[in-house]
Amino acid sequence: MTDEPHNTSARPDPALLNARHPSSDEEWVAEFQKGSAQGFSILFDRYRQPVFGFFCRRIADRAAAEELAQETFLALLRALPRYRQETLFRVYLYAIAFKILNRYRRKMAFRAAFLGMPDEQPEPGVSPGMEASLAVRQAVRQLDATDREILLLRHFDLLSYAEIAKVLDLPINTVRSRLFRARAALRALLETPPRAAMTHAPLRSQEQA
Amino acid sequence: MNTTTHPVSPEDIMAFLDTETFGKEALRVEKHMRQCPACTALAAQLRDTSYRLSEWSVPPMPRQVEDAVLAAAASAAGPGNTRKARRSTPLTIWNWRLWAVGGSGAAVAILAVVAVGITLERYRRVAEISPAPMISETNASARSGGAAQMESVPAPPATSQLAPPIASMIARTVSLGIVVRDYAPARSALDAILARHHGYAASLTLNTPENDARTFSASLRVPAAELDAALRELRQLGRVQSETQSGEEVTQQHADLDARLHNARETEARLLAILQQRTGKVDEVLDVEEKISEVRGEIETMEAEQQELEHHVAFASIDLQLTEEYRAQLGGRTQPVSTRMHNAFVAGLRHASATLLSLVLFFEEFGPAILIWLAIAAVPVWFLWRRYRRALLRA
Repeated sequence: MTDEPHNTSARPDPALLNARHPSSDEEWVAEFQKGSAQGFSILFDRYRQPVFGFFCRRIADRAAAEELAQETFLALLRALPRYRQETLFRVYLYAIAFKILNRYRRKMAFRAAFLGMPDEQPEPGVSPGMEASLAVRQAVRQLDATDREILLLRHFDLLSYAEIAKVLDLPINTVRSRLFRARAALRALLETPPRAAMTHAPLRSQEQA
Repeated sequence: MNTTTHPVSPEDIMAFLDTETFGKEALRVEKHMRQCPACTALAAQLRDTSYRLSEWSVPPMPRQVEDAVLAAAASAAGPGNTRKARRSTPLTIWNWRLWAVGGSGAAVAILAVVAVGITLERYRRVAEISPAPMISETNASARSGGAAQMESVPAPPATSQLAPPIASMIARTVSLGIVVRDYAPARSALDAILARHHGYAASLTLNTPENDARTFSASLRVPAAELDAALRELRQLGRVQSETQSGEEVTQQHADLDARLHNARETEARLLAILQQRTGKVDEVLDVEEKISEVRGEIETMEAEQQELEHHVAFASIDLQLTEEYRAQLGGRTQPVSTRMHNAFVAGLRHASATLLSLVLFFEEFGPAILIWLAIAAVPVWFLWRRYRRALLRA
């Protein structure tokens, strides 16, 4: 299952998509900027699950994931009046989500390092009744941090290579090569017996992208 | 798999599966995949990995989160809110608001610095007696006839005539700051007041800065008995800005001096009697004469000191500061722009060099201590930073 937005799909060229779909994200943003609450409702309906999944797959604490997802949409609400259509809405939204996620990570790291508070639970995204995907989650967790982000953004959030490059501020060729590396590493980890996979050190390639 | 045996790279196949290649490139990859079992197998592996990854699902977003966001959206929506917010464009270097706010802030800061500088400079000039463009008049020059203005100031009367025997001796000092409308009539009135009350000016200083109000400082001496009357008249010269009065009790000091003087005179009389009545060697006579000379010197010094003390008591001291109300005038004598620019440039260089010198001196003075503290602080900071980075990586 992916958290694909309801009426969007993987697309090669966002500009072409906008031309084909009159109700594109950017047009709904424009509606909201004119004062229509419906504009935001449509966007929220499209992206609530992807954004919630975005945090669930990166944070172990479910309550925190809910809070950060809500915070992301509230931040979006405040930022939308300043939004200009030079950037795709999806990129804009995920950039906000990444900022909020990184701020949360820094806060937790600070608490763990200086205040002696317990670190996060080791397994992100675990919830009762979801053991079927445990091996996948453990394998993903062992990937290099940047490779993991690229893989998750591509697979679950259906961002194009160019959009991932913008969100993570990386060259597009780096995104491409790291994505391939992540998939190869993930396949190797998934083929490894579970016990070995549990103790597998994080994969960090010496290759410079 | 390499590009010598395969015209397409594994990453090309992945990009093809991700619909990231188009046109001829997509056709080329598709054609090769149909012919190459290895590449077809790679594509199958990639698909399988994606399929496995899809097993990772997350629950739907809780209802309360949705409600909270939609409620916030409902209150934020509306033509007024969004239009108002839309006006605040992001702050870039080309944003006029950034320049307006930044420029205004800079202008206010510069004005504040200039105002403080001018005020300090004015106080400094008033406090000092600088040669130009200040006109300095002293009582000495007045007595010698050097300054016409001082000729009208009466000479101090003899102390002995005005100093009756005083039971309690108090030296009074008054400090008076007055703002006058015009300097010239105030100055004439001041001379008249001094003449009426038998006072005199110990020193006068007139400061006439360019494009600023004139200030006049005077140290006046007025007979103590007429001090109050003189002050009343002085206050009428303009608006009194500040006034302080003080009195110093010198009775004890005067009595001590009197006693010491009496003793010295008696000593002198005894020495003179010895010199007249006794005979002895020449060396002894010379010693007595030398002693008499010393005692005489001491007596004269103490007499002068006593007179000065009595004069202080007999004549109250008034430190007067007259400030003329400043009225800015258009035109007038101003320096040429080129001269002012040159002066400003030179002053700027001087300030820059002074600042650099201050920095160098600061680091010379405190640099070693700062380095020691940095070295001491570096260890725990490095340790904490490493701990923080590890926690961040874990997060």
